[in-house]
Amino acid sequence: MARSTADTTNESFRHDSSTLTERIAANPEPALRWAGVAAVLLLLELGAFLGGVLTLFHAAVLGVTALLEVSLGAVSSGLGEAAFGFQTDALASISGVRDAAQSIPTLLSRETISNQGHMVGPNGPWTGTFLGLEPAYAWGIRVVLVLVYAFVTAYWLFRGWLVFRNHYRQADWTPTDDIINRLRDHRWGQFGIAVLVVFLTLALFGPALGPTTVQQNIKSPYAEESQIEYFSDDTGSVETVFAGKANFDSKSKGPNQNVGPMTYDDYGRFHPFGTLPNGRDLFTFMMGGARISLIVTGLAIGLASFIAGALGLISAFYGGTTDLAVLTTADGITSVPRLLLLVMLSAVFANHWLGSVLDGGFLLALIFGFTGWPLLWRAVRGPALQVAQEEWVDAAESFGQRPTLIMWKHMFPYVMGYLLVYASMSAGGIVVSLSALSFIGNGLGITAPTPAWGRAVSLGQSYVAGPSWHIALIPGLMIVILVMGLNAFGDGLRDAIDPETKGSDDGDELAAGGGA
Amino acid sequence: MSNAIEREQTAASGETLVDVQELKTYYGGDGFFASPPVKAVDTVDFEIQRGETFGLVGESGCGKSTLGRTLVQLEQATEGSVSFDGTDITELSGPELKQWRRNAQMVFQDPESSLNDRMTVGEIIREPLDAHDWKTKADRRERVTELLSEVGLREEHYFRYPHQFSGGQRQRVGIARALALEPEFVVLDEPVSALDVSVQAKIITLLEDLQAEFDLTYLFIAHDLSVVRHICDRVAVMYLGKIMEIGDTEELYENPQNPYTQALLSAIPRPDPSVTIDRITLPGTPPSPRDPPQGCQFSTRCPAKIRPEAYADTDDEIWHAVEQLREVVRERSRMSLSTTDQLRKRLDRFSRFDDIEETVTDLFGELSVPQSVEDHVRHAVELVKDGEPKAAQTYLREEFGGVCDTTRPGHHQVSAAGRESYCHRHLDEYEDTTTVLANYVDGA
Ligand code: SF4
Repeated sequence: MARSTADTTNESFRHDSSTLTERIAANPEPALRWAGVAAVLLLLELGAFLGGVLTLFHAAVLGVTALLEVSLGAVSSGLGEAAFGFQTDALASISGVRDAAQSIPTLLSRETISNQGHMVGPNGPWTGTFLGLEPAYAWGIRVVLVLVYAFVTAYWLFRGWLVFRNHYRQADWTPTDDIINRLRDHRWGQFGIAVLVVFLTLALFGPALGPTTVQQNIKSPYAEESQIEYFSDDTGSVETVFAGKANFDSKSKGPNQNVGPMTYDDYGRFHPFGTLPNGRDLFTFMMGGARISLIVTGLAIGLASFIAGALGLISAFYGGTTDLAVLTTADGITSVPRLLLLVMLSAVFANHWLGSVLDGGFLLALIFGFTGWPLLWRAVRGPALQVAQEEWVDAAESFGQRPTLIMWKHMFPYVMGYLLVYASMSAGGIVVSLSALSFIGNGLGITAPTPAWGRAVSLGQSYVAGPSWHIALIPGLMIVILVMGLNAFGDGLRDAIDPETKGSDDGDELAAGGGA
Repeated sequence: MSNAIEREQTAASGETLVDVQELKTYYGGDGFFASPPVKAVDTVDFEIQRGETFGLVGESGCGKSTLGRTLVQLEQATEGSVSFDGTDITELSGPELKQWRRNAQMVFQDPESSLNDRMTVGEIIREPLDAHDWKTKADRRERVTELLSEVGLREEHYFRYPHQFSGGQRQRVGIARALALEPEFVVLDEPVSALDVSVQAKIITLLEDLQAEFDLTYLFIAHDLSVVRHICDRVAVMYLGKIMEIGDTEELYENPQNPYTQALLSAIPRPDPSVTIDRITLPGTPPSPRDPPQGCQFSTRCPAKIRPEAYADTDDEIWHAVEQLREVVRERSRMSLSTTDQLRKRLDRFSRFDDIEETVTDLFGELSVPQSVEDHVRHAVELVKDGEPKAAQTYLREEFGGVCDTTRPGHHQVSAAGRESYCHRHLDEYEDTTTVLANYVDGA
């Protein structure tokens, strides 16, 4: 604990009218050093970053305009059309920029370190791969580099905060320091953070990680550009074939036909996780699934946390009837079985284009968000009520602070921790539910052929006891690890925020004249 | 805090700043299934002069904090008015209320809870200025540094967090925040009771200095009577939402007139040990403010309570036992019955309150109880055993209750300086409190 008495004089105190920019200008060296490295890191992967950010932006614009269109369309069809028009234009321009961004070459891209090539003769050598290496090694190098890059970047972001704290922050110590320090000693929590970093990397760099692309291998394997070259033992020369045809011959269907983890198929393609029963590459499938799973989970949990946080603060601050109204709504929502709601809404929106945003994921995120908040709300209501009792809230009220600001400045910082803890823990639940929906299939979950983890488990279900065990087991394990990581992160955060509740020692009032 | 220090007289101007009339603040009781409201402040009248320090004392739960909070509009008054400089502030809302809030600020009791731990001291003190868009940003910072030194802190404390301060220093921050908007009136809600004794005196001195410097008017809420004597010009003593006695501090302390004030003051150690005033020990605990007595609020515990005519000559011990029985019955009537007990009551099988017999034996066993008293006691006991303690309570009140039980007293002027006391004993027909209490102490 960096607790110090206020009586010690503080040398680093500078008279304070300076802004952050002025402080950096006065002592630019640490900031520049940090920014230099950060710039290099960014440049290395600029295309991928921009692409990732723009993909998210694309989804957000799509979602918001979709809601606008649906709600405006309900009022008048003209307004709905207008919204739709705007949406089409906006999305087109975003996609344009995104495609341009993604064409910027990046160091760790599949083009730079390629694993897609073919042998020129029966025993090699390989051509088209990175340094002529075997595809397995080329792929391995790329994956390791991407992960290293991701961890270095994550650390560098944290490092940026340290630089700010040590050189530019005006306060010597803030309560956040304690939380961070405690998290630094929390191995289990760090495991959670590491898992999150890995999965975010999978989602963000998915296209660069897979041995092939979703487009070529899964979505349009018979497209003109989805042809691959390979050395054919039959003809003794290099041949060209559609990926779809190659997939057809690379199925994993138990003892008779199987392409297991870390093996090559007959077309010289490397499959780190083996293939699916339809011959597609499981690893590529999982990467695609990571992106959609994390986006949907993130949207859902973000939406739920936002509603839960706002309503928690409002119900604690105003109490009484407001609290009761929220409570009733929350109970009403939890009393509707979620599966029933999902089935119904999926049916209702089956042919509406809203149901196709993010391959159906957007609708799922909305449903999970709007049905998930009561749980989080219940978790934060207690702490919110407690902080609403604090005298500083009264104090703020007594000088006429606006209620919104009171909730934001004086209550939210105390509730945010709990919100994060419970959000990360329920995020695990959403991941599992999403997979379960895709597992059930039948119009629920993410629309095929877009990859979804649950579908992989479902596809591999009948081959669990046999050589094709990998189809169900690997996706299952990945789900387990992600859920565990989310829980670990939540645990770590909770311990960091609330190490142990310190006992309160409110002395009894000396009741004068109260007698014995 | 040593009470040997002479009280400094602050300059009261004789001009009324706060005028409280018929003020009631009730909590709850507005829902459909709600229990009766808590009558935290129950019809209170007083005035505070510009520039004075007005004390408000009483046991915890007597409503003094609620009264203070109502005066700064942290609590909505149920009825009555609070006029501040001629404006009834209970009527204000929206922008007018916000504007008015600059005039009246509050210093809170618990320095641990009154400062937001996630903000720096500078931000905390600056927040009222920000909320009112006070001048420019640079001016606000300037003002905060000024305030820091006003309350005895240093400029470099601006970027520290409350965590890094001691209780006394935190309270100084709270005071600086209250003064930021240059208010005229400050409610000090037990500002030193959570602090170490050594620090209390320093904070009191600081408050006095600030009052002199900025012409502040204070409402000083406390349960520590000696602090009040030191700092307050006038004082009001509260019990169960009602002002029992109100007047000049010195006079009230020297010569209390109300039975409650006397009991309260008898409990504090005297500076002069040769003057021995016996400590008056009050029986029982204050009744619930949800269900205050029908007559005088203090009547369930008052050592000077007036007996009805018919029992004027009853033996003191027997009378005492009757009063205690009434207290027991009162407690019983507060208990809520379970559903099973309700059912048993219907079926005449109710037995949960049968132990009342033992109580009666304990209270009356040794005494020779006159038939007239005995009959009524028996009747009441039967009612309790039938599960009707409320009826028993009413029965006992009607039989043994005097004027204190049935009628609310008025405020009577008890000194030339205008001190008032809330007690029937000031009426000519009853014996004077001081005499009665002297006997009571002798008898005990
Ligand atoms: S009115 Fe009766 S009960 Fe109340 S203080 Fe006076 S004597 Fe006591």
